[in-house]
Amino acid sequence: MTITYDLVKSVAAQVYEAALKKVPEDTKDALRRAMEAETKEVSKKTLNFMLRSALAAEEKDHLVCSDSGIPVYFVKVGTGARLGFDVRQAISDGFDHLVETIKPPILKHVTNPLTLERGYQGKEMPITTFDMIADADHIDMLCSPKALGGGRWAALEIFTFPSLETIETYVMQCVMKAGSQHCPPVIIGVGIGGTFDYAAKLAKEATLRPLGSVNDDPILRDMEARLTKAVNATGFGPMGTGGDTTALAVHVDYAASHGFIPVAVCFNCWINRRMGARIAADGTVTLYE
Amino acid sequence: MGNTYTLNFPVQEADIRKLALGDMVYLDGEIVMTAGLPTHQRIVRCLENGTELPTDLTNAGFFHLGSYNTEDDGVFDVLYLNPTTSTRFNEYMPTLIRSFGLRAVGGKGGLDRACAEAMKEVGCVYLSFLGGGCTVLSEAIREVTSVSWNDMISHYRIVKLRVEQLGPLTVAIDAHGNSLYDNLQEDAEKAMPQILADLRTAREAAASGDTSR
Repeated sequence: MTITYDLVKSVAAQVYEAALKKVPEDTKDALRRAMEAETKEVSKKTLNFMLRSALAAEEKDHLVCSDSGIPVYFVKVGTGARLGFDVRQAISDGFDHLVETIKPPILKHVTNPLTLERGYQGKEMPITTFDMIADADHIDMLCSPKALGGGRWAALEIFTFPSLETIETYVMQCVMKAGSQHCPPVIIGVGIGGTFDYAAKLAKEATLRPLGSVNDDPILRDMEARLTKAVNATGFGPMGTGGDTTALAVHVDYAASHGFIPVAVCFNCWINRRMGARIAADGTVTLYE
Repeated sequence: MGNTYTLNFPVQEADIRKLALGDMVYLDGEIVMTAGLPTHQRIVRCLENGTELPTDLTNAGFFHLGSYNTEDDGVFDVLYLNPTTSTRFNEYMPTLIRSFGLRAVGGKGGLDRACAEAMKEVGCVYLSFLGGGCTVLSEAIREVTSVSWNDMISHYRIVKLRVEQLGPLTVAIDAHGNSLYDNLQEDAEKAMPQILADLRTAREAAASGDTSR
């Protein structure tokens, strides 16, 4: 077998459904550790309920959250992959197929921003971005359904020659603005540099990095550790009703920039939806979180 | 902190007034839910125009919950429910709370000071639902008692349903004007100078090669 339209369509549906129904293992582990570390009764109970909810969704093949978000796919194509069909269309058709078949059915969250009408489809939906992977013949497809609860608190500001202090203070301002409302404990993505659009992409992709993974850059490694500590010192806590765990992690990435340096900050809520699939050249599909 | 109660709707004002921040509650009986901003705007328009609402909201438990509803052969069914962010309804909630004497409101993320004041006046609490609690919360659904404004999309409609042990929910704004959200925001703002100072110390330590801070 090879990488075909039908295969990509089917995998697009599969990863979206899995992202809606399964909280990643690294995230459940982090929630468990947070529950053990919390000192307040309310926050312990809330984290316990989160874990119970995640397990119940898996056992019952049900949605973790009713807001199934809008479909977002990050696709990386090996430079040696043989395609010859419209990959974007295959993903779009896969999403449409999912909408028609998923049990339980999902709500209409795709919104026309000009009329506020809602449906399952819309211009540029699913949001699909493509990158290349050198010296590979497979496709990686990562799905991250994005909903309102965490999505609406993302922000970006452009600074000129900011110090690390300016950048970190801005991250904390974004955290304060979101307060109790983004379904904490969250995973925070920070993108520094590049251009206006690229900083946002860096921040978003940073949220998708596995929890516990160590940043390759020593400056960012330290920044992630101190920002995580700082965010948790705010005390908003699980579900924003108080506690020591407001963020499970802060992930930072950067790109070289001009003297104008954008800083983008975004949030993934505690269910941390993401599901990936690698489609090998022979058509073998391997899921990864 | 730490009492657990079951509120049976319709609920008495005294049972609401006794709730404290951080108490856990489960809900029994009939509640009202909607997730629609247009729904809130339409309710307020009805109140302004003196138009009768399709369903009575007096002393109700009125919650910001998204739900998937089906209607097959005239039978309404709620397949699942889950909270949505309440703060986007801040503008409309004081009017709703006062006009209907709502006893409980809720969703996730809280409501603002103006809402908390209205809640204090009428005897109403805000209950925080677990975002991402869809599977467990939906197990409490027993029966749909009415669905109104069927011209709107499913999760914007006003749905009344009977629930059993819906929860656990956290009392996050009480009926005496106290708000966990306001308290936490205030505490975080007070702590921020120290948090930023600690960040500076850690940055300086990292720059000098000491990563123990």
